[in-house]
Amino acid sequence: MPSASDRTRGSGLTTALKIVGILALAAAVLSFPSFAANPFILSVGVVIMSYAVLATGWNFVGGFTGYMSLGHAAYSGLGGYATALLIIESGINPWLALVLGALLTAVIAVPVGIASLRVRGASFVIVSIAFVLILQLVFQSWGEFTGGSNGLRVPRPFGPDVLRPEQHERFFYLHAAVLAIALLTWWLIDRSRFGIGLKAIREDEDKAQALGIPTFNYKLVAFVVSAFFTAVGGGLYALWFGFLDPIFQFSILIGSYMVLMSLLGGIRSLFGPMLGALVVGYSVEFFKNEYGDTQFHLVATGLLLGLVVLFMPDGVLPALAALLRRFRPQESSIREVTQAELAEQRNSDPITQGAKR
Amino acid sequence: MSLFVQSLVLGVLLGGLYALLAAGLTLYFGVMRVVMIAHSAFLILAAYLAWVFTRETGLDPLLSMVGTVPLFFVVGVAIQRLLMARLRPATLTMMSVLLTFSIALVIEGMLGWLFTGTQRRVRLPYGGADFEAAGANVAVVKLIAFVLAALSLLALYLLLTRTRFGQALRATIQHPEAARLVGIDTDRTAGYGFGIGLATAAIGGTALALDSTIYPSLHWHWIGPLMAIIVVGGLGSIPGAAIAAMILGIGQALLQIPLNTTWAQTIFYVALFVTLMVRPQGFFGGRLAQRF
Repeated sequence: MPSASDRTRGSGLTTALKIVGILALAAAVLSFPSFAANPFILSVGVVIMSYAVLATGWNFVGGFTGYMSLGHAAYSGLGGYATALLIIESGINPWLALVLGALLTAVIAVPVGIASLRVRGASFVIVSIAFVLILQLVFQSWGEFTGGSNGLRVPRPFGPDVLRPEQHERFFYLHAAVLAIALLTWWLIDRSRFGIGLKAIREDEDKAQALGIPTFNYKLVAFVVSAFFTAVGGGLYALWFGFLDPIFQFSILIGSYMVLMSLLGGIRSLFGPMLGALVVGYSVEFFKNEYGDTQFHLVATGLLLGLVVLFMPDGVLPALAALLRRFRPQESSIREVTQAELAEQRNSDPITQGAKR
Repeated sequence: MSLFVQSLVLGVLLGGLYALLAAGLTLYFGVMRVVMIAHSAFLILAAYLAWVFTRETGLDPLLSMVGTVPLFFVVGVAIQRLLMARLRPATLTMMSVLLTFSIALVIEGMLGWLFTGTQRRVRLPYGGADFEAAGANVAVVKLIAFVLAALSLLALYLLLTRTRFGQALRATIQHPEAARLVGIDTDRTAGYGFGIGLATAAIGGTALALDSTIYPSLHWHWIGPLMAIIVVGGLGSIPGAAIAAMILGIGQALLQIPLNTTWAQTIFYVALFVTLMVRPQGFFGGRLAQRF
């Protein structure tokens, strides 16, 4: 668990602990289907894994650059629809359609990114919400192509002999594989020069620009990568669920879940969004089960998001780490997390030793 | 031709309401660099309050403004002082979006919980009344809504340009540090600015309740166009917001002739996209808008 507290130590022992932790996590995830008591529990597991993929996808732009997109449901929805329509219209292999659909979504994300990232945060947020609203309008009214408000039935990727529980299990592993790839990519970017540039943008965009970081290009690349992974998550969900409805695909609420999950877990940490997905995903499913169709889950989501923003904007993991640090000798820096991160980067990446003063 | 005139008149009437609401939205941005996503949720809340008021008392929904406008003003000041002021300045823009977004979700959820998702409509004795003017058919309720919006905008304009408080508010928008140096209590002024912004939502909501069907998730249909308007007009610029609202409102109404209602609404998003591509600071925005 790469929380700020153990980064500062950075010895061989922590590396070993990290590896053991990751292996334990992987084992826990992979063994979940065999522990799941019934197909319903397994399907909840698939939903949570899907949320974890979406939240980790969101975190490529939200975590690295600090630009909070509230409309990432646009990319998961586009990924889902692109996958489904590619299968229906051209009859290609579903898995190829999934990859092509995600690539197509990434291409669509380029002009959106150019429009919204040229200026700072406010316009980005406005465009992110506007884009999901416009897509909802378009997909609802363009009936003959997208199925409109009646929804779209997605062909099953597996034959009819594969039963429901078996489907759930296969999709659980598929989601786990995508999640692993997304996490690995995040980790690689986190350690790269590119990642340092992105984090510099998050901390202070003006200074980053002054240091010669091509801020606009960096933000755009992070945004497109984020759209790609979110679209893969959306496409995989479409193949599993088998039905798409514009109201639910292009919903502001799905986008806000992604933000809430990442923020709750901690946008600066690799496993934060995944942890948040576990907590929020489980609560959402629990709420749906207990209270059914009432609007109360909106209130709960809103209150939780408000509390997180007000009281722990850095997420649970860093908040816990900060709590632990209270019992240690005081550090002199005011921006503790940032400094710790910088120190780690300095240790791990010799190229930047000169660049950081 | 008469269809054109008819749409033009409808567009002007609609544009007036957009102008008032967008002015409120851009005011928040001006005083605090906050994109207030919950603005339209408060709009729908005010419409619901007007509906409840009429249902319970049988009086005209316009009278509910006596209660809702001061109430919303106080709530606005409270939101600024108790919630927005607590956020870290470095991440204010992003975090305030999330915070106001969560307020919007809570309002929508509460409305849905209390009044269910059923579509509601205020029953008015003059609800169906209309008259002919210059070859166009004008519904009385739409005209009332427009007059209400126009009067409020005028009042807002006079308040900002003719009073000491207005000067202080504009100084706070233009340059908070300098405003503090000349002795303006910028925190308090920003709080009042927020309150005024929310009061416009109360007026707009009452006007909306006169002639539309309302339901809890309606606010998403308003926030998109309103945000597009303030970007096109230049973030923080009240005249810009009003002009952009008028142009886009008329554009939407005219586009409804060849296209259907849904596609006509995309004009806002197209305008938003084109503005950000061509002139990211908006068409009427000053120095302020360039940095956001």
